[in-house]
Amino acid sequence: MPTNPDSNLDRLLRAARDETPDTSRFEFAFETRVMARLREERSASVFTWSWKLAPFFAALAIAAGLWSRTPTAKADSLAGLVAEASRGSEAAALVHFLTGEP
Amino acid sequence: MTAALLHPLLADKCPAMSDAAPPSDEALVDATLGGDDAAFAELVRRHKRRVFGAAARFARNDHQLDDIAQEVFIRAFKNLQNFRRDAPFEHWLARVTVSACYDFLRKERKHRETAPLDAIDFDLSDSSVERAIAASRAREVLAWAMQHLKADEQLILTLCEIEERPVREVAELTGWSESNVKVRAFRARHALRRIFEDHAHES
Repeated sequence: MPTNPDSNLDRLLRAARDETPDTSRFEFAFETRVMARLREERSASVFTWSWKLAPFFAALAIAAGLWSRTPTAKADSLAGLVAEASRGSEAAALVHFLTGEP
Repeated sequence: MTAALLHPLLADKCPAMSDAAPPSDEALVDATLGGDDAAFAELVRRHKRRVFGAAARFARNDHQLDDIAQEVFIRAFKNLQNFRRDAPFEHWLARVTVSACYDFLRKERKHRETAPLDAIDFDLSDSSVERAIAASRAREVLAWAMQHLKADEQLILTLCEIEERPVREVAELTGWSESNVKVRAFRARHALRRIFEDHAHES
């Protein structure tokens, strides 16, 4: 009987190699389970992404709301429009239309 | 016998199955990438036994075995577009399997509870080797010792010593160089032996 630890380790490894586990009961309908999990992950990923993007869109909406209520933003945009409109005759009509003057 | 006769249900759902000869793995991959889930189910059916065989070397219980096998195929599905046709599909799947098993070992090592040492009465230098082999406990004894090893040591020992894969193949599967594989295998074997010796001294 060999008492060399190295050769004993080899024999142990060989014996472990020969002990092939029977996995047949797990293989039954395995593809069905995998496909079900894939479908689950797909729907979960859409749901997860929508939740991940929710704060971004919320922040965007808040920022847009705040910007539109800022007086400087309003004044700047109106002043720019007036300046642009006053360059030509059609533009003058636009100014009259916008300002309500005859 | 045609593929349609072999898999009448799949033949309806999967265009790749309706050919006279059974479709190749590559054809099924193409069909899957085209959105055909039935083609991927057929790939799973074809390769599940091999994946389960490999996963069984790493799993400690039935739950883990099923989890690893599912993880392999989920990863394969998600990375199918990375499959280059320079090697057979099963080689690519083997790499995915090894990668999933390695990740499993690393994750498991963080949460693992080591089995009590007293449960294993074993000494490499005496006849307990004979008793373990005779009682078909070799896997159990090795699994106990493996729990004390690092994830990469467990992986390399399983691939090189238990599955007896050539160094070159292990290098391809793990992405490590051949010399790295040799060094790691040597160190892992040394570490395994030391675990048995330490246990023998303690008991």
